[in-house]
Amino acid sequence: MAIDTPVKTAADRRPSGTTGSPRRARPSRRPWVKIVVTLLLVVEIYPLIWMFLTSLKSNDDYLNNSTWSLPTTWEWGNYSEAWTTGHLGLYVQNSLLAVLPALALMLLLGTAAGFALQIMVWKGRSLTLLVFLAGMMVPPQMILLPLFTVYFQAGLSGTLWPLVLTYTGTGLPLTVFMMATYYRTVPRELFEAATIDGAGILRAFWTISVPLVRNALLTVGLVQFFFIWNDLLIALTFTNNQDLRTIQVGLLNFTGDFGATQYGPLFAAICINVFGTLLIYLFLNQKVMKGLTSGAVKG
Amino acid sequence: MHRVLGDRRAIAILLGPALLVYSLIMLVPIVWSLGYSFTKGNTIDGFTGNGVANFSRLLDDPSVHESLWFTLTYAAVVTVGQVVAGYLLALLYVFFLKKSSALIRTLAFFPVVLPTVAVGLLFQKFFQVAPQTGPVNSLLNAVGLESIDFFGSAGSAFWVLIVMDIWRSMGFYAVLLFAGLVDIPDEVLESARLDGASGLRLIRHIVLPLSLPVLMSSLIFSINGTLKVFDSVVALTNGGPGNGTTPLTLYMFQTSFTYSDYGYGSTIALLLTVVCLLVSLVVYRVSRRDITEG
Amino acid sequence: MSLRMPRVRRARLSLFTAGTASLALLTTACSGGGGAGSSAAPKEFSYLSVTENTTVKTALTTLSKGACKSANDALPLKVETVPQASLDQKLQLLAGQDALPVQFAAGNAPALTQQLAKSGKVADLEKELKALGVLDQLEPAAVSTIKALYGGKVEVLPYEYNIEGIFYNKKLFQENGIAVPGTWDELVAGAAKLDAKNIQPFSASGQQGWPITRLVSTYLYRSLGPDALQKVADGKAKLTDPEYVKAAEEVAALGEKGYFGKGVGSIDYDTAMNQFLNGKAAMFYMGSWALANVSDAKQNKVGAENVGFMPFPAVAGGKGSIDQYPSNVGLGITLGAKSFDKKTGAWASCIADNYGSTALEDHGSISGFKVNTEVKDANEVTTQVRDTISTSKQNVLWFEALFSTKATTVSQTNAAGLVAGSMKPEQFMQTVQDALAAQ
Repeated sequence: MAIDTPVKTAADRRPSGTTGSPRRARPSRRPWVKIVVTLLLVVEIYPLIWMFLTSLKSNDDYLNNSTWSLPTTWEWGNYSEAWTTGHLGLYVQNSLLAVLPALALMLLLGTAAGFALQIMVWKGRSLTLLVFLAGMMVPPQMILLPLFTVYFQAGLSGTLWPLVLTYTGTGLPLTVFMMATYYRTVPRELFEAATIDGAGILRAFWTISVPLVRNALLTVGLVQFFFIWNDLLIALTFTNNQDLRTIQVGLLNFTGDFGATQYGPLFAAICINVFGTLLIYLFLNQKVMKGLTSGAVKG
Repeated sequence: MHRVLGDRRAIAILLGPALLVYSLIMLVPIVWSLGYSFTKGNTIDGFTGNGVANFSRLLDDPSVHESLWFTLTYAAVVTVGQVVAGYLLALLYVFFLKKSSALIRTLAFFPVVLPTVAVGLLFQKFFQVAPQTGPVNSLLNAVGLESIDFFGSAGSAFWVLIVMDIWRSMGFYAVLLFAGLVDIPDEVLESARLDGASGLRLIRHIVLPLSLPVLMSSLIFSINGTLKVFDSVVALTNGGPGNGTTPLTLYMFQTSFTYSDYGYGSTIALLLTVVCLLVSLVVYRVSRRDITEG
Repeated sequence: MSLRMPRVRRARLSLFTAGTASLALLTTACSGGGGAGSSAAPKEFSYLSVTENTTVKTALTTLSKGACKSANDALPLKVETVPQASLDQKLQLLAGQDALPVQFAAGNAPALTQQLAKSGKVADLEKELKALGVLDQLEPAAVSTIKALYGGKVEVLPYEYNIEGIFYNKKLFQENGIAVPGTWDELVAGAAKLDAKNIQPFSASGQQGWPITRLVSTYLYRSLGPDALQKVADGKAKLTDPEYVKAAEEVAALGEKGYFGKGVGSIDYDTAMNQFLNGKAAMFYMGSWALANVSDAKQNKVGAENVGFMPFPAVAGGKGSIDQYPSNVGLGITLGAKSFDKKTGAWASCIADNYGSTALEDHGSISGFKVNTEVKDANEVTTQVRDTISTSKQNVLWFEALFSTKATTVSQTNAAGLVAGSMKPEQFMQTVQDALAAQ
């Protein structure tokens, strides 16, 4: 069913400059631009390099020698120590198990809700949207105790379910809001036309609208992924035993597992976490940059 | 025409699950916590009714005033900082960097991805004055200035916190705002240039007004996040020195769990929620004409 | 064509669903206990502690495979840890669900332990240990310290028993002609000599805060006698009284002269320890748990034979004496009331009989349990400390020992300001006194 969508996304447009217009011929030759960019790169990248170098230092080296210095001995063993004694493998697994289902659920439910709130027409939808928005105002600390009680009573305490459910619940407001906003750019007539042919509105939702908002899905997905991947408070509150720890909680616990803080393995664990996340990010980067530049946050 | 779009069953199926999960995980606990704010006590000793005593205590408590002030100043400074820095970067990307823009954008986005524990530790070491002189103090020494104990006073610790959070998220806002800038039609820019506008004037009179919607969204997004700052503060200073860098979220957490006064803690959380609501409402009204339109 | 329920009915249906769900939730809220069953006998010897404390969990694991194997077979040991900063939160949450582990660290401050005890969550250890016939396995000094801290009751087990004093670098003292100071003035004079030679006199963790407030409290005990802080707890004296402020002033003066080195507020525990063990600082106020670090050749770069231990000096004209060592029992670890059954009792007996020697032998850690097998001391300073412990008659506590949790936090987070000069002594005492009065 070819639908002539009148929706033009900026992804179809190149960032201005490659259109060949003569207006911006000089910029890259301006020296101050180069300086600014170099400064920017140093500011952004140097800390990462520093972390990497520190992860290869022995504890002695770290405490007694200057912070600028290169490691006196290159302790690659810090990495294997972080992975084995630090149980990093288990924590990575837990993080994935907690975050990915929550993300999927959040996106699915959020998109459906966004569709219902924006495209469908019914009384009380603006009120419902406001109810979702109100959720963004609430500090998560407020819901910790009641949720802990509920999960405990429901017998979910020894599992990762509390994490999955809490992440989904706390991520819904933003997701619903962003998807509803994005659906504004999709005209209702589209679905009128689709359903005339006999497809139900639900099918129209799934087969037509979802592909259209693909970019927004990716954007929201990436943003939410990093929010919940780096979450500390909720993970700390709802993990009752070591086997359930996520990476962030694991990092906090590095201090004691080795007696006095072993900075080498700690930074090694951080580096593993960081570079892993960076890989995921780079992998999705293309898609997300496209998503963000296609008007997902047009306001 | 609206029969299909008004199909109740479909709406229930689409909206229901989200609403259900949201109610169970967010709404009910919020109301429940609100209930706690009328009580005194904690999980160990049990809760006893306390009327509105918590609320009157809230009004008089100097720690609450300090934390509220800190939260507001922090939110204001970081929001302005993040969005302005992001905007400047976005302008850089759009107008001055063409092919390399994608690479730079990606690199600037990196810090967003880092765990808070890592960033906190990083900045602690960067700004330290003992036992090793950290890089920042080394720089100061190199230009002849004395080392500063950044974490020794609330004022300087505040600024380290600001720098840390802006460093962390400016790449994110840069990309967000970049999306908005890229949407500005080429024709508009062309005609403005033909009229003689260039550089700063172009930005002020054409680019800025046209990117206002995305700026507003970013502002709301940022304010919401910064008012509820928690992880960054705990990772960097844990509210210290004293409680000089304690925002409302941290104060609430300490009151509820360390000082065993969950009822009062809920009251503080309520205060924070109200503040968030008010601020967001103000910004929202200013930015949107009609939120239900569409 | 579309299935459209009359609006009213649909609204009612959704209301009904939401209502039922909420009602279900609220019922669970109000019903409180009886969740995942804690009235049933425990299936494992669950132990919750803080990540930073490694000695106890390692020693227990050793015991579970050795001397306490039979107890372990009946009730296997399971260790869980949380970062110290979130211990209180965890305890609150678990206590609310009646799901406290069999053995757990009972809070960052004695106040929380007493709260738990008041609501019946903590076993009456004196009674239980007596019934098991192992009460005499606890060192008397440890028992008296525990009772002083916990309102006359034995609410925790003395997994650690520590006395505090000043570790000093013998070589630096010798080289600079400093004798072991007997009075506060001699101590300050010695510090001045060291400072003149550009040697940092003291190493202390301002980030932790308590190493600094310990100096204040021990000064108070020396000048005003062993009940100095009990009086404050009972309301008979105030921290803002001039004789109390004097202690803060003396400690602040040390900071003002720069005797703690730069940036004391950002020095964490490990860094302070490291500074002393690397010979960068001459003196280090710490408890006997530091003997483990002193005896570790990897950490101790100045050599164990170079480390001495002296009691906190006397204050001229003071009511206290130099033999009154500040002591503590480390992180209070206790046993839950409901889960204390025969199997738990078996564990408790085994621990009481064997923990003392295991901890001392494997970790150089001195506990409040009697050492039943002969253990050779690693070095001279350990022998000195052990002898002091066994002969000490009266002990004193520390600054925040009898404070509420809020006052403890306030005191510890503001201590660095006292020596850095950003908080005046009267101001510091006033702030802490206010926090005490607030509860």
